[in-house]
Amino acid sequence: MTTHRRFALGLAMVAVPLVLALAGPLFAGDPGARGVSFTLGGGHWLGTDFVGRDVWQQVLLGGRTVVVTALAATALAYLVAVPVALMSALTRLRWLEELLMRPLDVLLAVPSLLLILLVASMLSPGAAGLALLVALVNVPDAARIVRAAAGEAAARPAVEALRMQGESWWRIAVGYVGRSALRTLAADAGIRLTGVLYLVSTAAFLGVGVAPDAADWAVMVDRNRTGLFVQPWAVVVPALLIVALTMGTNLLFDAALEKKPIRKKGRRP
Amino acid sequence: MSEVTDPVAEIRDLRVEIDGHAIVDGVRLRVLPGKVTALVGASGSGKTTTGLALLDEYPPGARVTGEVRRTGDGPVGYVPQHPAAVLNPARRVSALLDDLARPQVRHLPRAERRKAARALVLRALSDAQLPDSEDLLRRYPHQLSGGQQQRVVLAQALLLGARVIVADEPTTGQDALTKSRVVAQLAAVAARGIAIVLLSHDLDVVRALADEVLVMRAGRVVESGPAKRLWTAPRHEWTRRLLDQQRAAVKDGRHPKAGQPVLEVRNLTAVHDRRTTALHAPRLALHPGECLAVVGRSGSGKTTLARCLAGLHRDHDGEILLDGTPLPRSLRHRSRAQLAAVQYVFQDARAAFDEHRPVLHQVARTAVRLRGIDEREATAEASTTLTGLGLPAELAHRLPGELSGGELQRAALARALLARPRVLICDEVTSGLDTVTRRGILDVLAGLVGEGEKELSLVLITHDLDTARLAHRIAVLDAGELVEQGPVRRVLTDPRHPFTVSLMETTERLEAGTRT
Repeated sequence: MTTHRRFALGLAMVAVPLVLALAGPLFAGDPGARGVSFTLGGGHWLGTDFVGRDVWQQVLLGGRTVVVTALAATALAYLVAVPVALMSALTRLRWLEELLMRPLDVLLAVPSLLLILLVASMLSPGAAGLALLVALVNVPDAARIVRAAAGEAAARPAVEALRMQGESWWRIAVGYVGRSALRTLAADAGIRLTGVLYLVSTAAFLGVGVAPDAADWAVMVDRNRTGLFVQPWAVVVPALLIVALTMGTNLLFDAALEKKPIRKKGRRP
Repeated sequence: MSEVTDPVAEIRDLRVEIDGHAIVDGVRLRVLPGKVTALVGASGSGKTTTGLALLDEYPPGARVTGEVRRTGDGPVGYVPQHPAAVLNPARRVSALLDDLARPQVRHLPRAERRKAARALVLRALSDAQLPDSEDLLRRYPHQLSGGQQQRVVLAQALLLGARVIVADEPTTGQDALTKSRVVAQLAAVAARGIAIVLLSHDLDVVRALADEVLVMRAGRVVESGPAKRLWTAPRHEWTRRLLDQQRAAVKDGRHPKAGQPVLEVRNLTAVHDRRTTALHAPRLALHPGECLAVVGRSGSGKTTLARCLAGLHRDHDGEILLDGTPLPRSLRHRSRAQLAAVQYVFQDARAAFDEHRPVLHQVARTAVRLRGIDEREATAEASTTLTGLGLPAELAHRLPGELSGGELQRAALARALLARPRVLICDEVTSGLDTVTRRGILDVLAGLVGEGEKELSLVLITHDLDTARLAHRIAVLDAGELVEQGPVRRVLTDPRHPFTVSLMETTERLEAGTRT
């Protein structure tokens, strides 16, 4: 029961920012004339922002870049990290494992934001470029965590038994080792999405991938800080949306992975 | 002492219920100081639940009625089956014990506390049969052997002033020499006036140690009494079955010697971590339809030998020949036919199954992969084989987590048999099972030898000489060296190597039931 409730709560928390982000731009309509900065009311439902734009409209417009970039970057990071981790967990060739994992360690040593800023200053990437960059800096962490979980599963007698049965690499790696590492992977994915959102938001606020006055939740939080006590909504609403998205994702993953208790037969009467 | 007859702990009409099922029902138990009270029974008979009740520990969600009374002051000590699990791996033994000794010396002046605590620790260790333990105190739990870990846990209990010690399966999976040491150690603790509650399905140990025995089945005590009476005149049918030490007969009529060996080992030297030599076997042959037992203590290299044969341990020199052709070292390089010919059954059946898939499905996969038959046919064959090994179809559809150890071991055998192997390697497949279940598995194995047109050969890896009696021939390993091999009757009646002699003697001493 509690699992179901947690699932519903997570779903609701994820749905609001996700729907706003993806469908928002369709309903935003014309930008309209700019009003006075940081006002409440006056025909503006959530007031106006630091340059007098309607906050509600900015909220509708500003989610897409953040959410899509973060989701794409997370997915991309795992797309690289999971195969690398499974391969290195299941190989008995030391050199192959070193070849797969050591370059990632080098990347891990470079501060991620520094790397993003450095590349951005040379190439000035768009949203897609930003997603690629953020994915790249997340691959080492993700690969190491998946590798650790998969390594534990790969050392179990079950893997040897599967080899004894002549099972294919694919079936052992994905069907057993990957599946055993799934819980760890999902737990990591929840945290990673949060981290990626933070990174994308930070990059956006530093002007990488988006214009400094763009309609973007992260940019909104930063630029409207100055008027926080005059007009809190311009900061609180986008900030809450980002928080809801990350918390909801974590709850959703937790609920989805809640283990059904198996009754051990050995302890049965 | 005059009050010897006063129990230090007592259980009256204990009933523990989970989801409406009684896992322990109507158990009465009196624990006397200086005496060993043994609870015996198959796994799942309620031994551990009863033992833990003395510590006021119950399974989560249990409904408990009845009375548990402790008269002595001081806690009840518990030595679990896997002692490593209760020792903090990040702290040295000295720290683990000092933590318990410190509060007891608080009344002393600060300057003297350290010395007094150390004295307490050393006395507890020597009481737990770990004398001269200065060196041991500096080690971490993982640097100790299983037996030493057990004794450190025992020392912890003694430090806390425990008057009752509950020992849960202290000898499971140990060889005869280690077992006799555990027996001696528990006997010494009992001699100090401490009551011991022994939970075990190892009847040799129970016989050697116990004063009082309670036979449990399905949560009830079916019979209790002094150990001697129980052994000579068991009253209950179940006790008789449990004590029935009838051994699988030595087969020597049809001794398959003629012709080419199915599996042959030449100059095998296996290494661990590319350096330490774990095993050296100059020559070993297995003929079709033959059962070869490989015996030795833990760490003697028996499992390494088995793993080399199965292709699970690649770091070795020398040759392993199947029908005269060398087998690739790693099973990754063996062809399907070669994989199918040599199959391996793991010691820990639970760990050898994928916990997410039904047992039947996993068993059937062998036939699909190694013999190329289709899924439906394979499932039907798996079902037949499982039923033949005594695992009903209803159980086979469940997940591994829902089966008992014995049931899973049968399934593991079926999984290997579906490859139609020529050689089946069984690595300690009966250790950790109670006598009734073990006998069931051994009967199955005895029936398999020589089966089929290919005349199945068996390699039995075991530390248990009783199990080895099932074989035609025995090979004895000691510290990685193959010290003796020959027909089972000759090795068991006229052992030539000193190590074999000592292994035989310890086993007999345990069986004779004398405290040493």
